[in-house]
Amino acid sequence: MTWWRIPALIIALLACAATGNGYLVSLLVVIGLQALPAIGLALIAGFTGQISLGHAAFYGLGAYGAALIGKWLGIPAWLDILLSTAVVALLAWAIGWLVFRLKGHYLAMATLAFGIIVQICFVEMHGVTGGPDGLTGIPPLRLFGFTLGNDFAMLPVVWLATIAAILGAQNLVASPTGLAMRAISENEATARSLGNDVQSTKRLIMMVSGLFCALGGGLYAHYIGYLSPGPFDVGFSIKLLLMVAIGGFADVWGVLIGVIFITLIGELLKPLGAYDIVAYGALLVVSVIYCPDGLPRGIATLASRARRTGAAGSMR
Amino acid sequence: MSDALQFLISGLVVGSIYGLIGVGFTCIYNVTGIVNFAQGDFAMVGAMSAIALNVAGAPLWLAILLAIVITCAVAVLIERIAIQPVRGDVMRGIIVTIGVGVVLQGIAAIIWGTDAQPMPAFSGEKLIHLLGATVMPQSLWVIGIGIVAMGGLDLLFRRTYLGQMFRACAMNPFAARLVGMKVETMSLVGFVMSGALGAIAGIVIAPIALTQYDTGLQLGIKGFVACIVGGFGGPIGAAVGGLVLGVLEAFSAGYVSSGYKNAIAFALLLGFLLFRPGGLLGDYDRVRA
Repeated sequence: MTWWRIPALIIALLACAATGNGYLVSLLVVIGLQALPAIGLALIAGFTGQISLGHAAFYGLGAYGAALIGKWLGIPAWLDILLSTAVVALLAWAIGWLVFRLKGHYLAMATLAFGIIVQICFVEMHGVTGGPDGLTGIPPLRLFGFTLGNDFAMLPVVWLATIAAILGAQNLVASPTGLAMRAISENEATARSLGNDVQSTKRLIMMVSGLFCALGGGLYAHYIGYLSPGPFDVGFSIKLLLMVAIGGFADVWGVLIGVIFITLIGELLKPLGAYDIVAYGALLVVSVIYCPDGLPRGIATLASRARRTGAAGSMR
Repeated sequence: MSDALQFLISGLVVGSIYGLIGVGFTCIYNVTGIVNFAQGDFAMVGAMSAIALNVAGAPLWLAILLAIVITCAVAVLIERIAIQPVRGDVMRGIIVTIGVGVVLQGIAAIIWGTDAQPMPAFSGEKLIHLLGATVMPQSLWVIGIGIVAMGGLDLLFRRTYLGQMFRACAMNPFAARLVGMKVETMSLVGFVMSGALGAIAGIVIAPIALTQYDTGLQLGIKGFVACIVGGFGGPIGAAVGGLVLGVLEAFSAGYVSSGYKNAIAFALLLGFLLFRPGGLLGDYDRVRA
């Protein structure tokens, strides 16, 4: 039974907000913003088995899209986020049309190339994106006459979107499409032989995945107020993949734990300076080799094994 | 005209490096089925070790030899620790090798710092003038070593017993095992060759382009593009792909904009992946979904 998870999550968030600790709340906002693209990536890479090394691009396009649409059309922030999300979702669908002709390493490289091209465009299109200097003066989100200028005000909005994404992802995975997704991930030929339209399912999931990323990106743009190409590089795509890997690939709540884990580890490792990246890479390697079902389940398995050996020992 | 010649030469130089990195990919891919995303970092490790040994007082030739040995040792270590457990799993293979690359970069940043490091040229800095273009002597080294390495590798694969075993394991590991070959040993051999090629690539280009802890990623991706453009078959494909990519990059940097240079390389990658996945030479049927 997992119905208690959403209420428990909301209570935990409220409890954290009630402490009035600004650092904690800003951390929670960041976790929520990264959970959106991470869950999006989990849908395509985890559940459908189609790797992507370019998801930071969708996040970045969502962010730049929202900021630019808002600037050009002079529309309120919530509307530009929605418009940008819609455009990026369509783009993701179109990209799916191209890249899903490939699989495995070739798919990884094609999505990597897509991510790098988008990032180069952010840097080079000075007239539009402001180049390496970035875009400044993005207005904060305004809803029902309130300006959401600080972390405490952003927290409910960001997590509302994240919880909606969690519920949406769970329902998608439990639907007939979700079964098709997992069938594709297990064995594409079999999935096709059972009458699934494999390619259009992949494109659909890519679209949903891009939508989650862009939504996170749009909220990020209006939360942070300033965009530069840096945060949307290949490193972020890899970080998203790491979150999904730690979470156990095909597990929505696991991925949320992965996001929390990676964000906290990032904060803890900050004082280590250059060593943090080594720890980060080592963690990635170790978790993928030794906990193929993700860290939460890997630890659970270890614990139950320890309990069993403990019980066996006491019987002897 | 002299501009074009200049771009052509610099393109050929960079292209040789891409080719060397690219053939390192195929050495590992053919036996293990894993694309090693840390391939470019082998070049960085090789160049950085050579520079450090040279600074520490070793003569250049000794520093280079030791650096190649060090990189091979690193490659063997990686194969044993990280690659063996995930053999055959594409997604985990990709993530593990990315992780290995990140670790190598981090360790390099700790040992050598994040500054770009120069390396002395093999035979002086005196420029050679040729039909209005200027050529660094090191450029000739790069192209020469590229040709020797690729030709040697091609001969190794086609003419020697080791090369035949290697290709047998690549074509059908199961059958190779049946006739008594040790596929695991061949996998190790693949990593050693790949490490050596990566180190050589990194070292010969080091006097022209500065090396720093994170140069590996870009080099690695370009090497992969070279493989895709040329075809994943072997040294000659990678060499052709590398040269095409290098020349195209040099011309687009010269005539279009250096900022978009990389975007053009990756657009080329996408184009080839989507429309001619077998590369310029040969067809490759395992690519399509």
